[in-house]
Amino acid sequence: MNDAMSIPHLIMNASGVVQAVMLLLLIGSLLSWVVIFQRSFVMRRARKAHREFEDRFWSGVDLNELYRETPVEQETLGTEHIFRAGFREFNRLLPKTRSPQAILDGVQRSMRVAWSREEDRLNLHLVFLATVASSSPYIGLFGTVWGIMGSFQSLSMAQQATLTTVAPWIAEALIATAMGLFAAIPAVIFYNRLSAESSRLLGKYEDFAEEFHSILHRNLQGRGETTEG
Amino acid sequence: MARQHRRVGYGLPTLLAIALHLGILVVSVIRFPSAESEPPSQSIVQATLVSTETTTDQAQRATEPQASSQADETSEDEASREAEEAEAQRQREAEEQRQREAERQRQAEQERAEALEAAQAAAEEAERRAEEARAQAERREQQEAERQRQAEEEARRQREAEEQRRREEEAERQRQAEEEARRQREAEEQRRREEEAAQRAAEAARNSLDRAIAGEAEAAANAEQAQQAANGFINLVRQAVEQAWVIPPNVPDNANALVAIRLGPSGEVFSASIARSSGNSAFDRAAIQAVESAAPFSELRELPASVQRDYREFNLNFRPGDIR
Repeated sequence: MNDAMSIPHLIMNASGVVQAVMLLLLIGSLLSWVVIFQRSFVMRRARKAHREFEDRFWSGVDLNELYRETPVEQETLGTEHIFRAGFREFNRLLPKTRSPQAILDGVQRSMRVAWSREEDRLNLHLVFLATVASSSPYIGLFGTVWGIMGSFQSLSMAQQATLTTVAPWIAEALIATAMGLFAAIPAVIFYNRLSAESSRLLGKYEDFAEEFHSILHRNLQGRGETTEG
Repeated sequence: MARQHRRVGYGLPTLLAIALHLGILVVSVIRFPSAESEPPSQSIVQATLVSTETTTDQAQRATEPQASSQADETSEDEASREAEEAEAQRQREAEEQRQREAERQRQAEQERAEALEAAQAAAEEAERRAEEARAQAERREQQEAERQRQAEEEARRQREAEEQRRREEEAERQRQAEEEARRQREAEEQRRREEEAAQRAAEAARNSLDRAIAGEAEAAANAEQAQQAANGFINLVRQAVEQAWVIPPNVPDNANALVAIRLGPSGEVFSASIARSSGNSAFDRAAIQAVESAAPFSELRELPASVQRDYREFNLNFRPGDIR
């Protein structure tokens, strides 16, 4: 009895549909954990990079120097990406037009594009996590319902209905629900955590973009006055 | 800066996720059998613990007297030594005395040491004995446990065997019952089939008989019909001849003439001749004329073909009363 009721034994003896459901849930759980780990690493690195870049930015270094520190072809992430996009646009527009408003508009636009790319990058695969979180309990429930249907079908064929004839079926059916919850609970928790983290980082990027924009604006105002005067 | 770590790959997260799942799987697999195998062993230990307590008590009780005697000895020794020391202090000026005293002290000390040693030996002995007793008790208890476990094992095996046997018996009985039911069903089926076959055979036989009877009846009916038809034909012929017959006057009542008639296939008269004369030529002539005027007898064609031939030739007996 001990051997027959152990979890691996129950899983091995489950009907085909229930086994398929379990396999599906296992794959979902595995993939969701891959996403959880990967996103956690990405978020941590993005946070660290943002902090480092802000420290460097506000340390009073010359912006041209800061811009020239990284080669143009190298891909940058996070705040640095936004800064470089804005500054590149600023440098390109500066010799072409005299209107500060046009320059600032161009800078803002390019920074918005960079911000949108960053958002895309941070929220990558989070939708998958949300899907697993919301659908796997239902999939597990389906497995359970199917298993219990099987148990009742076997009950109808049995001469007398004892607990021992139903118990293994119901136990194996309930394993499906347990696996569904097992896949869903971490996915829910980490989806909330990671999406909160992502929106916080994006808010920080936005703040930085505004600050940078105001710096450029100040710079242009000063230049406009000197050229006029 | 975030320059040295550009991208976060999927290799490490995949590895971590697989490791996590494997860990959970291993925990769920390993913990279950051990958790379930523990309770019986625990019960055995609990059962033997009682006996352990009693044996250790006995051992303690055995060591107790020895320990008390040892304590007595040590206290005695202590008293004597103190007394001697006091004496030595008091008689310090007398060297020999002190030496003697010292010697005695030494002796006493030796004695005490010996006593201590003896006591220690005794204690050790007691301890060893206690140890032995405990070991023995332990061994016994282990044996007991072993025996108990074996007994339990045996009981369990027996129970299992019994269970198995009962299940098998039940299965056997069920199978037998099923077999019986099947056999009965088959027998029933067989009987029904046989009955059916018998019924069918009987019906077939009855049918054939009926058919035979019917055939016979039909044949009889046919014959009867033919007979009737033939009779009807003869009657018709006779009626027709009678109607056409003009009996001449002055014929004696006993005049009797037999006319032989031969008919063609369609009923026309081939020949009509006197087979036996009545002796009265007028009567004979009148008979032949009657036959000739009544011809043709087309009713011959309505007769069955089998009897037509028989009625192609017949005789008619003429008498003044009637024709036969």
